[in-house]
Amino acid sequence: MWALDQPYAPRADHLLADTPLALLAALAVGAGTAAVLVELAVLPPHVSRVAGVTAAHGALLATALAWARVSAASPVIAVALIGLAAAVSQLGVLGSLAYLGPALWVGFLSARGRLTSLGLGTPVSLGRVAAGVLVGTGLSGHLLVSASRTLGVHIRVDHAAEALAAIAYDVGANVLAGECFFRGALFNRAERRWSFAAASTVATSAYLLRYLVDPLLPKSVELMIGAVFYLALLGAMNCWLLSSSGSLVPGLVSASIFFAAYRTLGVR
Amino acid sequence: MRLVAAALVAVTALIALEDSGPASLLRHAYLVPVLAAALRFGVVGGGLASAAAMLLSAPVVLPEIERSGLTTEAIEGLVTFAVLGLVGVLSGVLRGRLGRHRRRYEILVTIQRTLADEAPLDLSLARLRAALADRLRVDEIALVACDGERLAVAGGARVADRSLVARVLATGEPVFVSDAGARGRARRAFATPLMSRGRAVGVLAVERTGEISVGERVALEAVGAHVGVALENARLVSCQRRFAAELEERVTAARRELEELDRAKSAFVAIASHELRTPLTALQGFSEILALRRLPPEEVTRLAEVMRREARRLGRIVSDLLDLSRIERGLEPALCRVPLEIEPTIEATVDLFRQGTATHLITTECEPSLPLVAADPDALERVLTNLISNAIKYSPTGSSVPRGCARARRRGGDRGRRCRARHSDRGVAARLRALLSGARCRGRGARHRHRPGRREGARRGSRRNGARRQHADDRHARDGRSPRAERSVP
Repeated sequence: MWALDQPYAPRADHLLADTPLALLAALAVGAGTAAVLVELAVLPPHVSRVAGVTAAHGALLATALAWARVSAASPVIAVALIGLAAAVSQLGVLGSLAYLGPALWVGFLSARGRLTSLGLGTPVSLGRVAAGVLVGTGLSGHLLVSASRTLGVHIRVDHAAEALAAIAYDVGANVLAGECFFRGALFNRAERRWSFAAASTVATSAYLLRYLVDPLLPKSVELMIGAVFYLALLGAMNCWLLSSSGSLVPGLVSASIFFAAYRTLGVR
Repeated sequence: MRLVAAALVAVTALIALEDSGPASLLRHAYLVPVLAAALRFGVVGGGLASAAAMLLSAPVVLPEIERSGLTTEAIEGLVTFAVLGLVGVLSGVLRGRLGRHRRRYEILVTIQRTLADEAPLDLSLARLRAALADRLRVDEIALVACDGERLAVAGGARVADRSLVARVLATGEPVFVSDAGARGRARRAFATPLMSRGRAVGVLAVERTGEISVGERVALEAVGAHVGVALENARLVSCQRRFAAELEERVTAARRELEELDRAKSAFVAIASHELRTPLTALQGFSEILALRRLPPEEVTRLAEVMRREARRLGRIVSDLLDLSRIERGLEPALCRVPLEIEPTIEATVDLFRQGTATHLITTECEPSLPLVAADPDALERVLTNLISNAIKYSPTGSSVPRGCARARRRGGDRGRRCRARHSDRGVAARLRALLSGARCRGRGARHRHRPGRREGARRGSRRNGARRQHADDRHARDGRSPRAERSVP
């Protein structure tokens, strides 16, 4: 038993310890520079999007990997893979398959047992995965019904290629980076300091903040309220799934299903 | 939970089929599964069920608000949201509190029942740990209790020096650790002292993968206090029972001792009565003869001599009893020391025995011009009488009993007189030694020394490594001289 056998010392490190500040600063400078150059028409507009995706999701995933104390090169590799995928996806719909690169890299690290502190590579029961499917399906169903009934936004079947590209983006960058950082890293760390309620509040708040400042989110009040509502529920439920299962997989599943449903709506 | 979910879906389906808007009466049916979830699963279940009910009814209520604004029906729908949330959460909270109180009382009863049986501390702790593990719903539990200098541990092998339990034991303050070092899910640990009379007598430590809420921690602190008091009570009861058992044993032993003393007293009274009756009978008989008959003068003289002898014997017995009484009271026998000549005293005593025995020849050997000795005449006479009578008693018929007195030099240079009696049969040495030892008790103020025979001397010599004494005894044996008893007077 830990309380009898192991030495006890009050926790000394702070919540944001091991953050790769240099890498984050480099990403911020790169994104800012790209934005300025695009604004000056020196670079084409899609460069700004590539830099933004790389900086945002790369920063989240790199921070999560750094907090997991994997090798120093792993965060850089993750950023590079996301940047590469963002760049390749600009070439066409099939290019979006490049987003599988970061997912494979994370899967590779998980298989080697390097990301257990993020809840990846740990045993998970099928029941918990099913719970993740249930959460994602429930929220997705509610989103589709309420969106169609209250907002008049209906499911579109005429943009399947774009939807598939967006789903690939979600799986390889959006959901992967978000769940790894906000649940696997931030919530996990916060829960080791505070109660579940406090930790999930912190993680979910940060999760909401990340999407509210996302320039890709439509600037409609109804949509923003809807985003807050669903993302808050999704974040809280994924925190519960991680806390109860010890694995990030159910949360990844539920978030992937939810965003997949979201991509089927013709939201612009 | 499945029934709750099914009921929520069923109510939603009925509302959709009825198509009467947000003010449908069926909306109140949501309260049934919400209440059921709250009563079954507490605040989490009630909150989740009410949230699910709100989510399910939102597609009915919210479009009405968007279409027509805050109409009466829409307001009813919103009020239903609030009622569902309040009912779910409040019912869950109340159910949670009720459950916690019930669990706390059950735990208290469990503690009392577990520690009611008298058992060693380690066994009691192990039983208590097993009972608490069932009640507290934790992954790991350990109980540590101070047993003197030792720590009794249930749930582990030992307490590491800088562990959480050691810290709580040292500080007497509860400690909550939100991260007990697990790699996957966060693992909580909480340790609270077992308090008794204001000090920590042990520690209750629990670990759980998941939450240990503030309410649970408060409850655990209360449990720790109760366990501490219960352990202390059990220890006191055990001490009381042990003390009662010891007291009973001591009372029994004292009663046995008193019975022995009573028996000894009865035996002593019987012996003393018998000893007193013998001279009294002689005195009574001879005095009646003298009073009732006319006897020739020489016969009268003889009878008077016998009566005088028996009267002296009676006096000696009474003196012995008085001495014994003084000794029992912690006092020395009353001695009246006066300067007296030793040779006439010996001669007078020997004369008495010469007249009374025809089987032994008693001789006296006294050095000339002996100085005066300081002695109680009566006590000295008793000592000499005892010495000579025993010498006669344990010497074969026809042997000689030399009796004498010589000047003796003590190891420290102090001079004294030594009276000795010797008999020719060395086989009676041990018995004579025993008698002389008894005479020493009766003749306090005098000192006797017995020189043992060859075999006895060899044993004593080996024990004391007294080669010189053994050599002297061997010399006596070679000379054919008998063992002798000596008594010294200052």
